[in-house]
Amino acid sequence: MSLKPTIGIETHIELNTNTKMFCRCAVVDTDEPNISLCPTCIGLPGALPVPNKKAIEFITLLALSTGCEITSKGMFHRKNYFYPDLPKNYQISQFDLPVGLNGELEIVIDENKDYIQIERVHMEEDTGKSSHSGSGRIESATSTALDFNRSGVPLVEIVTKPVISSSKQAVAYIEELRQLSIDLNISEGRLEKGNLRFDANISVALEDSNELGTKVEIKNMNSLRSLERAIDFEIQRQTKALEDGVEIVQETRHWDENKEVTSTMRSKEGSADYRYFSDPDLPNMFLSDEFIKEVETLMPLLPKAQREELMTTGLSLSQSNILSKSDDWIKKLYVKVFDQTKDSVASYNWITGELQGQMRKANIEVLPEWFNDDYLSEIIELIKSNKISFTSAKIILTEILTAETTPSKVAEQKNLFQENDSEKISEMINQIIKENQDIVDRIKSGEDKLVGFLVGQLMKQSNGSVNPGMAKELLLKELEG
Amino acid sequence: MSNEFNIKNIAKLASINLSEEEQDSLSNDLSIILEHVNALSDLKLNSQQQEIFIHPLEKELELQDDEVVESLTHDEAISNAPESKDGKFVVPPSME
Amino acid sequence: MDVSHLSIREINSLFTKKEIKPSELYSKVFENAANSEAALHAHLTLFEEENIKKAAEADKRFSNSESASLLDGIPIAIKDNINIKNYKTTCSSKMLSNYTSPYDATVIEKLKQQNTLFTGKTNLDEFAMGSSTENSAFGLTKNPWNTDYVPGGSSGGSAASVGARSSIAALGSDTGGSIRQPASFCGLVGFKPTYGTVSRFGLVAFASSLDQIGPITKTVDDSRIIFSSISGEDSRDATSVINNQLDIPSDNTATIGVIKELMEDGISGEAKNEVNKVIEILKSKGYKVKEISIPIIKLSISIYYLIAPAECSANLARFDGVRYGLRVDGNTSYEMMENTRAEGFGAEVKRRILLGTYALSAGYYDEYYGKALQARKEMIDEFAKTFKDVDYLISPTTPTQAFKSGEKTSNPLEMYMSDLCTIPANLAGLPAISIPTGLSKDELPLGVQIMSKPLSDNSLLDFSEIIENEVQFDGQPKGWL
Ligand SMILES: [Mg+2]
Ligand SMILES: [Zn+2]
Repeated sequence: MSLKPTIGIETHIELNTNTKMFCRCAVVDTDEPNISLCPTCIGLPGALPVPNKKAIEFITLLALSTGCEITSKGMFHRKNYFYPDLPKNYQISQFDLPVGLNGELEIVIDENKDYIQIERVHMEEDTGKSSHSGSGRIESATSTALDFNRSGVPLVEIVTKPVISSSKQAVAYIEELRQLSIDLNISEGRLEKGNLRFDANISVALEDSNELGTKVEIKNMNSLRSLERAIDFEIQRQTKALEDGVEIVQETRHWDENKEVTSTMRSKEGSADYRYFSDPDLPNMFLSDEFIKEVETLMPLLPKAQREELMTTGLSLSQSNILSKSDDWIKKLYVKVFDQTKDSVASYNWITGELQGQMRKANIEVLPEWFNDDYLSEIIELIKSNKISFTSAKIILTEILTAETTPSKVAEQKNLFQENDSEKISEMINQIIKENQDIVDRIKSGEDKLVGFLVGQLMKQSNGSVNPGMAKELLLKELEG
Repeated sequence: MSNEFNIKNIAKLASINLSEEEQDSLSNDLSIILEHVNALSDLKLNSQQQEIFIHPLEKELELQDDEVVESLTHDEAISNAPESKDGKFVVPPSME
Repeated sequence: MDVSHLSIREINSLFTKKEIKPSELYSKVFENAANSEAALHAHLTLFEEENIKKAAEADKRFSNSESASLLDGIPIAIKDNINIKNYKTTCSSKMLSNYTSPYDATVIEKLKQQNTLFTGKTNLDEFAMGSSTENSAFGLTKNPWNTDYVPGGSSGGSAASVGARSSIAALGSDTGGSIRQPASFCGLVGFKPTYGTVSRFGLVAFASSLDQIGPITKTVDDSRIIFSSISGEDSRDATSVINNQLDIPSDNTATIGVIKELMEDGISGEAKNEVNKVIEILKSKGYKVKEISIPIIKLSISIYYLIAPAECSANLARFDGVRYGLRVDGNTSYEMMENTRAEGFGAEVKRRILLGTYALSAGYYDEYYGKALQARKEMIDEFAKTFKDVDYLISPTTPTQAFKSGEKTSNPLEMYMSDLCTIPANLAGLPAISIPTGLSKDELPLGVQIMSKPLSDNSLLDFSEIIENEVQFDGQPKGWL
């Protein structure tokens, strides 16, 4: 039986506006509960919603950037369901007239591009936060405590068409969406803070079937890792069920982070009928051409275009993709270093490999003030002109990350300029051969690997200042001769 | 129009725990009212599928600037809570 | 001379001339309350003590000639679905019997700026759902003209209070006639302004697209004064409109339309007589009067009893025992909410919530709520067409005089029918006023209703004042004063 999975993803993005969606309470990031509230966001009798202009700008920006058609004549609907963290027991959302329809997002997996069709982009409001107390296990919670600081925070929901076929694609999609929202400056994009939250609809059907299989919704995936594992688990579970002839039930399942399984969520009776209807507190919303044009002027260079630009420097698609998903300063640094060195691979490797690696290791989050953009170019040029070795270059980088100095100063102080004079190198080689006659003998009797040891000794004695390529060449000549 | 309704389902959707007695009397009331509003089904609309404006004066939505306005203090916000603890509203367990 | 019988402008003039002090009026009004409340139960709460100081302050302003407001020192009663900070807002519901509002409605802020005094909160049909003020969790209100009869509703407490002079004027709210019908039953002026001219922020919503706050007063001029004080666009209510008034002639160049559908079966002879009486007066003054027909008006009750319950089913979802109000415990949040709502709401509120829930539920939306929206739109268009030919529309306010307590409580539909003449103005957002014109053979007041096009409130008031002056209705309820 040949089976294929189909996945659709619903993502909620918390917008980084100053105020909430329908009131002017500050959006706060705090553990102190219930400190940013007003009659509207806790649903007091008589309170009314008024939408946030910035949030509408942001969602329009997102819809435009994903190539959606903008619904210029839109409206807000009420989605009705009872839940204690939903103050009005309806969520203001959008139903048949969302801000954006029929978009597309380019994603990258390795060296391949792919396109994920987007069904809709709509505006809504967040709920409060529940915490369940008791013995710690949710089933035996004895009470639920509610904090409404998050209640009413603007959310954009982006729904894909059921076009995703693997967990890898799903992860690439979320990574792309996250970067997009950061570049658009509409969200912090912090998954660990719940800035982006996603649910997946997964079904499995026969390879040649035109119809989708029974859809199962997975909730509670808080990281890309859990998204990937939950999808893989669910595809396997459904595949096995189909192979065993077990019927798949349409349901909502919960991803258990610890056990790494999905399990049926106890569903509330009668919760499926949301009774959407136009919110009578909010007149029809018209997005004028003027408004849309104004929003378009805010459009930054999108990740897709960034990748295209980076590829013109000579980087591969996957390298461009990684850079496009890096912090802004890294992207800028790359452009600067490449401009100066015209060497895309060296620029890329030094920035994404050595520089970021050393910074991570040393727990440095931002480049020190004195770290001049030109330094990396200087280091790359020094290597290219054989003035320093790669090993020395790493040492230089470490130094300039920790103290206010320059690459050439470090090279000088630490005596790292490379010895390129073959006579001087030969002198040193002769000395090494003398000191390691036993090794030389073993090499001659066939232990070729030990050549490397001798080169190593040479590098050590010269403090790494010898050009390693020349050293090896001369050493081999000497051994043969 | 179809006037069959399941009073239990509707009550569940509306989150109201009705007694058997109430179910009977409300079913009866709803039938009478629904029979009356069925008059609407005879209405031939002049213009089918018109754009619906939520506001009777067809006002367009105006948006508000993203500027913080101080409102309730924590104490004001929580002062009417039937139960609270450590600054949070407390309810019986809500986990599904 | 009993100052509590005077109009606001007359009282203000006495204050200004220092012939009487606000505190004296204040004492008189509470003396009237002391005489009438036990029998009528117009107020749920009286704010006597706390206002003594405010009355004294008003005295000072007038004695120093510092007052700039017509409403300074005028005791006004407030329907108990309008929030006043630090006072209870119960909506006459068990659900909110212990609820204290932490904020002021916009209309209250505005009245406070005018130094108005509040006599207290008045009784209403629970959450403004009803036409007799019999659906109050705190006992019914009686008609000051004859306590065997209802005062009308849902603003019955406000009307009874002005009728018994325990306030000089009152605020009510009108969703399907809840200001005009009780005003008519109590021999008063009741004015429902154009939808959106008065902010709904702080008015506990029944049906958001229909609700409007307005005055119940002894004279048209009193209504004008209050309307001008409470109207105006409010950034906290997205449905509020800029109060740009249209100027329509009120003199005898105006054309008056008599709505045929509201002069047919179901309208008592007495009610028709009042309309005909006014028509004769207008004709004699040279006004052009013609009969017009708006057939869709016959569907008003059907449209209304789908739209209003649908909106109320969501508006009242917030009353769940989580954040405020009544709580009846349960093992889970959901049980708690269901128990709370079962216990907290009265029969009429449940009836409408269930009706609205059903009308919005999956599979029924199109044939009920959707159809009602279309029909409402058509009615709005029909009125717009009519107002090309006529300037004002006249009809009875109510099909009959006030009915007896208990007379219509057994059949909800019969009660609903009593709003036949008033509902169309709410559906179309029109300004509408009820003016007392005479007494029935049972010595109960009767009134006529005048409607005009949206945003012609001031002209409507001017025209109504002409009728008021011509009719010279000077009946007063006996026994309390
Ligand atoms: Mg959503
Ligand atoms: Zn708020």
